[in-house]
Amino acid sequence: MIAQIVLSMLLGGIIIYAWSECARAPIIGLVSMFTAAIGVYFVWFPSEASSLAARVGIGRGVDLFLYIWVVISLLVMLNLHLKLRAQLELITVLAREIAIAGADSQSRTK
Amino acid sequence: MGPKTDKSVWVIVPAYNEAPAIVPVVNDLIRRGYVVAVVDDGSGDDTAVRARQGGAVVIAHPVNLGQGAALQTGIRFALRHGAQFIVTFDADGQHRAGDIKNLLGALEAHRADFALGSRFLGSTVGMPASRRLLLRVATWFTRLTTGMQISDTHNGLRAMTRRGATYIALRQNRMAHASELLHEVAQSGLGYVEVPVTIEYSPYSLAKGQSVANSLRILLDLSTQRLHR
Repeated sequence: MIAQIVLSMLLGGIIIYAWSECARAPIIGLVSMFTAAIGVYFVWFPSEASSLAARVGIGRGVDLFLYIWVVISLLVMLNLHLKLRAQLELITVLAREIAIAGADSQSRTK
Repeated sequence: MGPKTDKSVWVIVPAYNEAPAIVPVVNDLIRRGYVVAVVDDGSGDDTAVRARQGGAVVIAHPVNLGQGAALQTGIRFALRHGAQFIVTFDADGQHRAGDIKNLLGALEAHRADFALGSRFLGSTVGMPASRRLLLRVATWFTRLTTGMQISDTHNGLRAMTRRGATYIALRQNRMAHASELLHEVAQSGLGYVEVPVTIEYSPYSLAKGQSVANSLRILLDLSTQRLHR
């Protein structure tokens, strides 16, 4: 029971995080939310996880849960990559403005 | 459209650590009457000083951002300063300044907004077979993703009208900008024409060229851009 609560809280945190990211990266946000929601379902209904795992050839329900966790981790990594890209775009805009302002002032002093 | 085109034709030359090559490139362009804007992309050598001494306008990025970012900076600067035609030109000396006249002529003759240089319609000097293969694959990919029937995708020699340039808003800072630019040309719905040009490879330009690893990075950059706003 304790493990179920802890895991649900962690997955709940991921759902909130993914929801907050939806505006910026809708595909990743929605897929993360969906995957985490499936994770919550399997935490509380492990027999469902076991039967689904057996159907898809994974073996045990807990393994299925681990796979879901790995997928979520990868999605979070991808999201961090996209955040870095967004930061780089802001830096680019800033550097461009500085460069153009510098060239403009040089043109005026000529 | 001739060399004495006063300030209507701006040639944008993105440059990163190109001190050994920039002077002859700038001199040749200025001799032909074009306004030359060198975008120094955070070089660690004296590219900017040499370009300025050669008579180019120098726009200096405070840090290295990549060729795509440098091109966008140059295009924006040229538009602000009233350019009617904008040409993009590599700093490593592999392009021929004489081809610019043909690009500008094609814009006028075809009433197009973009004239794209093609080494496969024109000619190459010293192009390795591996580079040819890489470019063929890139061309095939671009045809597939843009629907443009073009023969050369990663050619840095191109010309555009002022109207065309306003449609260009590159977000790919590094080498993926060439594919991105073609996507923007396709999406603009404006006319484009391919023009034969000559690309002359030298050990210097080949050392600065693209590798297979870069191509994979370009694919990754183009894919991830679609995932966020």
